[in-house]
Amino acid sequence: MTSTKDQVKQRSAVLQGTLDMLILRTLLYGPAHGHQIGKHIQRTTNDFLQMQHGSLYPALHRLEKRGWVTSKWETAPDRNREFKYYRLTEKGRKQLLVEESQWKQMMEAVARVMWPTGEES
Amino acid sequence: MRWWQIRKRNDDLERELLCDLELEEEEQRERGVPPEEAARAARRALGNVALIRERTHEAWGLAPIERFWQDLLYALRSVLRAPLLFSVAVLALGLGIGLNAGVFTLLNSIFLQPPTFKDPRSFVQIYPRYTGWSTREDQYSSFTTEDYDAIRSRSRVFEDVAAWQASSVVLEEANKPNAAQTVTCNYFRIFGVDRPLIGRFFVSEDCSRGFAAQVAVLTEATWATDFGSDPHIIGKTMHLNGSAFQVIGVVSSDAANFLPGGIFVPYTMEPLLDRGRDLFNSADVPWLGVAGRLRPGFSRADARAELSTIMSQQDRAYVKRHNSTFNRKTNLALTNGSFIENPAVRDRVVAMMALILGPLTLILLLACCNVTMLFLSRTVTRRGEIATRLALGASRGQLARMLLAESLLTAIIGGALSILLVYRVPLLVMNAIGARQSRFVLLIHPDWRVFGYLAVLVVAATIISSLMPIRAAWKLDLLTALKGRESAATVRSKTTSGLIVVQVAFGFVLVCVAVLFGRLPSLVTGTDAGFDTHHTMAVPLAVDTSAANHAGALTFYSTLESRIVAIPGVQSVAYASLGPFRPVPPQEIRLPGQTVGQGKPVSVDDISSNFFSTFGIPLLRGRSFNSADPTSPDSDSVAIVSQAFAKEFWPAGDPLGQSIVTPNNRRLIVVGIAADTKSESFGVTDGPRLYTLRDASALGGNLYVHFYGDPKPIENAIRDTVKALDRTQIIAPETIWESLEANAVQMTSLAGIILFMASVGLLMAVVGVYGVLSFAVNHRSREFGIKMVLGASRQTIFRSVTLQAIRNTIVGLLCGAAIAQPAMSTLARFLSGPFPLRGLITFALGVSAALLMAVSLVATWLPALRATRSDPMQALRAE
Repeated sequence: MTSTKDQVKQRSAVLQGTLDMLILRTLLYGPAHGHQIGKHIQRTTNDFLQMQHGSLYPALHRLEKRGWVTSKWETAPDRNREFKYYRLTEKGRKQLLVEESQWKQMMEAVARVMWPTGEES
Repeated sequence: MRWWQIRKRNDDLERELLCDLELEEEEQRERGVPPEEAARAARRALGNVALIRERTHEAWGLAPIERFWQDLLYALRSVLRAPLLFSVAVLALGLGIGLNAGVFTLLNSIFLQPPTFKDPRSFVQIYPRYTGWSTREDQYSSFTTEDYDAIRSRSRVFEDVAAWQASSVVLEEANKPNAAQTVTCNYFRIFGVDRPLIGRFFVSEDCSRGFAAQVAVLTEATWATDFGSDPHIIGKTMHLNGSAFQVIGVVSSDAANFLPGGIFVPYTMEPLLDRGRDLFNSADVPWLGVAGRLRPGFSRADARAELSTIMSQQDRAYVKRHNSTFNRKTNLALTNGSFIENPAVRDRVVAMMALILGPLTLILLLACCNVTMLFLSRTVTRRGEIATRLALGASRGQLARMLLAESLLTAIIGGALSILLVYRVPLLVMNAIGARQSRFVLLIHPDWRVFGYLAVLVVAATIISSLMPIRAAWKLDLLTALKGRESAATVRSKTTSGLIVVQVAFGFVLVCVAVLFGRLPSLVTGTDAGFDTHHTMAVPLAVDTSAANHAGALTFYSTLESRIVAIPGVQSVAYASLGPFRPVPPQEIRLPGQTVGQGKPVSVDDISSNFFSTFGIPLLRGRSFNSADPTSPDSDSVAIVSQAFAKEFWPAGDPLGQSIVTPNNRRLIVVGIAADTKSESFGVTDGPRLYTLRDASALGGNLYVHFYGDPKPIENAIRDTVKALDRTQIIAPETIWESLEANAVQMTSLAGIILFMASVGLLMAVVGVYGVLSFAVNHRSREFGIKMVLGASRQTIFRSVTLQAIRNTIVGLLCGAAIAQPAMSTLARFLSGPFPLRGLITFALGVSAALLMAVSLVATWLPALRATRSDPMQALRAE
């Protein structure tokens, strides 16, 4: 039996490799601020991936440092106040493609080990 | 991102997080959480804000700098809280670092810097090693004339190649020897000196062979000391080794001090200065130092390749010329011209630098010990604070970094202070050695090596001085420290004992070296040599005694002798084959019946009959030589022996009338016993010495004059007499005492410097021992109090404290002796020659041990006294 703590650990381990990709993918819909990004990932995965702010912000700043996203303080359309919006750059778009294909390769490789074709038939 | 934008970044992040928090709060409220709890829930959802902040900072990649900055700021605040302690630490480190860096600056400019300021990268000095030929077998030397000519004419890599020879000439206007350089005319340009201070430099005609331009350039130092900075010096005539030279220019101190010479003359003048030898026409004698400037675009490797080709051609020519008797092969070393790169002396220079910097390093280590002590005591008083930090989750690594930052701050400020010393110390040292040398300081410019060395010292000092405090903080027992009831267990005797041992040991080594050097000058002048050094004058003569000139030399000597004796004040004149205070090659003397190899080594002095009265050496028994004694080397004759000789050969019997055999099988009968002298080494009685009678018609030998009264007028009179007889004689007569004194003056100043440094070291050691003990006593006051309550008397406590200190001191002395003994032996080997340093080592060890023991007892006394004043009541209340 795995404890809840271990489950959380496992999830964040999954996240660590893919967090950058998930953030970049989320930003493909348009600019968003940190809170929105976190909520979006959480909602889309049906709360499977609990967004830890402890890793979200460092990741955002890391992506910004690498030039894959840019940030700007802008007024939110539905509210009368400013948020820091992150926006995907051209470089980020390319990076997303790279990470996506890598992830696919990885999944296919893992799938071949886990469910060999002979077994299926 | 730049590090200075960090503040803006930080504000930005704060704002971002705040927004997030607000949104979260809103969401919580929408979800139906009561407003008063929403804020807390939002915080919970967000997680550890401090952690997010920290991780984000890591993502910026600036965390280490930031942390370092914070540590430094904190260190600054914390040292400002204890300003006195901080200033003491800074002063100690500043002094330790400054002395090191200052002396290093000096060593740097003497040994490490290339000898030119102007474009040192293109300057190349070349040393050949001629192997497989008749002379100078297998060691780096100078170039022969032919090889220099070959390099100069065939090299394409070098823009220009200069050559020179260092020598000593007698400047007769000043009546003393002066360093001189015979140089090629491009010498100054190669060494990067463009224009003279006044007058002009050599032009190429001055150096063309077969053209005798008797011109000279003075260095500013020689101009000032020997000519009183005469503004009309240009065009005046001076005399070098008996020849007239016209002064054409003065080269400024700034440039010339780099160059070892005091007077420069064209190298074509060499046969004139070095009479009787013509190095230009001695094809196989290496005599020229060679350096050149690379053409732009060429490297030292190009030069090496080209020169190797040229030299192998030269080698072939050499072998051809000598019918293959010698198979000459030349290897080359190309250097930047600095002393330490000179392949012939490199090892010695490195060893010398180690010997000089070694004691200085000890001073720095002592300073570090002191600072360690100060920081350690502070770490202990701050143990409550440190324990709190640890309890709140600071890692021990962070703690160590914090303490390291404090040391670093101290060391950096100490290092900055020491830059003052970097500029002052060389001047002080040079002034102490001699006013003439202090001009050298003008061109001491600390360069990257000096500041690199300084940085290394600062870092080393930081690490060394913070090791102990970090260890103490590391081993802090959290529980007891937090309760504030920590016993003395944390910083116990091991640390303090260790510190005392180290400080005593280092102090001991320093004092040993100082005692050794302090004794040197008095060794030179203070001992009774066993003969009259004050009224015996050596008259150096250079007379052609070859067979062709035999009659002339004979007349010269006999005339000179009679004229000198006629000088008022002169008492007698004598000859000897041995000069005082020079190493003597011994000869084997046998007893009759002994075969070759069974005899004993004896120094043999061939003297004229009035030698003993001239030198004032008493004859103890028997008679002196008389004119009837045979002097021919073929016939048997008589001899006079020294006391040591008599004791060595006939320990019990009577030496008078005994006979001995010389290496050339001459039989001598002992007719007299002379008192022992100390003429070979300073302060050491000579070994067996045999005096034989010199042939009255012999030529050469050392001429000595015994006189009454003041030496100066006699010196002048003798010089004038010699000059009147032979104008070409180059002569500067000096009493034996004067030549000793000249040696001693330099040594006295050197000893003074070393004594000063040792005093600094000793002071640091004493302060250190005192500090360590006070710390230990303060720390153990509760323990003492309890002991007293349990019935210990004040004497017992006093005794226990002092006994422990004495034990540590003794251990320290033993450790110190283990370092000092080999160090001094090395030193003694270095200064071997006339100085009997070996015999002094035991003396130095003994004196230093006594001194340190006394001094550390004094340093112990006060803390021990304080220990006895521990208040038992207070101790009990605290328990």
